[in-house]
Amino acid sequence: MSSQNSDPRDPLPARGPDPLLLLVGTDYRCSPIELRERVAYRDEEAEALLVHLLASSGVAEALALSTCNRTEVVLQPSDENEAYRAALELAFLQRAPELERPGCLYVKRNGDAMRHLLAVASGLESMVLGEPEILGQVKHAAALAEAVGAAGPVLRRLARSALAAGKRARQETAIASGAVSLGYAVVELAKNIFSGLTDCRVLLVGAGEIARAVARNLTERGARDLRVANRGAERARQFQEEFPTAEMLSFEERFAALPEADLVIASTGADEPVMTRQQIQAAMERRASRPLLVVDLGVPRNVEAEAGRIENVFLHSLDSLDHLIERNLKRRRDEVRRVEEILDQELALFRAWYRGLQAEPLIARLQKQAERIRRQELELVLSRFPEATHEELDRLTRALVRKILHHPSSRLRGRGGAGDLPRLDLVRELFRLDDEGEG
Amino acid sequence: MLPTLLGAANILLPLAYLLVAVDYGLVFFAAKPETAVWWWRAATPALRGTVLLHLACLLGAAIHWRQFPAATVSQALSIVACAVAVVYVFVEWHGRERSTGFWMVSLVFFFQLLSSILARPNPPDRAIFHDPFFAVHVSLALLGYAAFVVSAGYAFLFLQLYRDLKGGRFSTFYGKLPPLAVLERMMLGALYAGFVALTGAVVTGAFWAERIYAGWLLDPKIVFTLITWALYAGALLLRRLRRWQGRQTALASLAGLASILFSWVAVNFFLSNFHDFL
Repeated sequence: MSSQNSDPRDPLPARGPDPLLLLVGTDYRCSPIELRERVAYRDEEAEALLVHLLASSGVAEALALSTCNRTEVVLQPSDENEAYRAALELAFLQRAPELERPGCLYVKRNGDAMRHLLAVASGLESMVLGEPEILGQVKHAAALAEAVGAAGPVLRRLARSALAAGKRARQETAIASGAVSLGYAVVELAKNIFSGLTDCRVLLVGAGEIARAVARNLTERGARDLRVANRGAERARQFQEEFPTAEMLSFEERFAALPEADLVIASTGADEPVMTRQQIQAAMERRASRPLLVVDLGVPRNVEAEAGRIENVFLHSLDSLDHLIERNLKRRRDEVRRVEEILDQELALFRAWYRGLQAEPLIARLQKQAERIRRQELELVLSRFPEATHEELDRLTRALVRKILHHPSSRLRGRGGAGDLPRLDLVRELFRLDDEGEG
Repeated sequence: MLPTLLGAANILLPLAYLLVAVDYGLVFFAAKPETAVWWWRAATPALRGTVLLHLACLLGAAIHWRQFPAATVSQALSIVACAVAVVYVFVEWHGRERSTGFWMVSLVFFFQLLSSILARPNPPDRAIFHDPFFAVHVSLALLGYAAFVVSAGYAFLFLQLYRDLKGGRFSTFYGKLPPLAVLERMMLGALYAGFVALTGAVVTGAFWAERIYAGWLLDPKIVFTLITWALYAGALLLRRLRRWQGRQTALASLAGLASILFSWVAVNFFLSNFHDFL
């Protein structure tokens, strides 16, 4: 396919309802982490990639999206074969030749590519359905392409549509609702019990990686009062480094801290329960009527299951958290159809914009031709009229031409596009616009 | 004209509350409440409009009958329904919290429906109904009952969420209600307010009955009211002494409401002697 445009940044002429687009990518479904991490691009690397892609003769516009789960390049090609080769080589094979194996990369064209980008921004393609970070990553990729000058009218507008779809999906549906990770499941449980995490006193028993991850989620959502009871000095030091305001306790001090705690996270590797029903019961008797949320993340369990029978003690294990996460994921899956409706709406808006874009050159030619005819005809008759009226005649004929062309121009802007290609061709033929050339 | 309008209100008010409850229900059961845009926007104005209509009906009844409109069980139930609705409108406005709307408005609908079913064309006209002291006594009693109804509403929701969180079952209620601590606070706040008002009603009633009726203390209505009062007093005392947690208090609140309903319906219609007007 060869470019028919004098300016390679002009969108290719209409040959379908969608602009020519090419998307090449790999994600968590088709390549392992070892390959994905090799084609993950930091900002400066992504900028360089975009510059190199633009240097290719087949690429008019480019956008690169790189996250931990996917790397994709979206191109508006002036030569599809050339653009494909450039994307393949520059973005993927130079860094990971193994991606050439069948099934490691996917290629999407035109309408499929458009829909895919919108679905990605909406979280439909994410490993965790509806995860929120991808929207920010798409926004960042669009800003990067803009900064490098790689985004032209089509990709700029497409990125805007993708961001609008992603934002609407999160606002208008429950695609991003409910916790779907262990840490946020704990946060969600706490938020269903306490009126806020800010005043919630958290006691962590064990300071390993899981405890740190949960503490991270809790502090992100406002928890400030952390106490940590841990056996090993090294893990305690690591925890303190990450959470300097946390109060470090010896492992034995956990019982003394229990009556004051609102939320207990137990995540030790102990073989025996580190908290028994009697110990929790004793702590509850020293508290006011405050509820206590105990989350047992240990395997084997760190807290005696019988403790869950104590009044106002809410004991949750990994099983119940899994149950909660699965419930939330199901609710998200139930929303996919509604998100797809949003994608359809945003794609329709994009296509309407693109149709208008396609009609513009034709309208410009039509106006130019009309103006030329007006001048020619005016010059022929102008000498027959007094000079004082020339200006008035000029204004009159201009107004006539403008008014005659106004309605057809509006209709062409609104209706240009693949479905209306015969109509555009008819206009071209009726007004002999192809013969006009640039003259 | 006014009697016709008051008659129509017996049909109009429960119908309006039913529609508002359905509206709040659509918001509550939506996957994401903010997405039920139209229902979301319409619920609060619809409720406020219905409450205004209800207040106007009560005012109209007071003007028409020239007495405090609590001369019958039907009128008393209507006042309680209106008071619960006013309390909920305040809670929603103050806390910007609409997730309990469906349940509270459903309660209002239930009381108003009961009121409409029990409505009689002409309420009795006795001298005491024109006494301002009577209005104070009855107002305190109805305020107390309304607060207990609100408390029972929050107690019900508290127990649902408590059960979900305790058992890890995560039913429809989970994630759609305010946190357990907030529900408990609302339940207790209403319980305390109701208890203070009911105590005031008992004291003013006793003071007055002593002057007018002999043997008033043996009237079944009074006996049941005192039992109800004792039930709430016990619950609040045990709570105060930290013997009871939220769940037991919530159960007591529901038991209290059952006692009130029994006192209203059964005692008023079948057992009461001098206190048969309410």
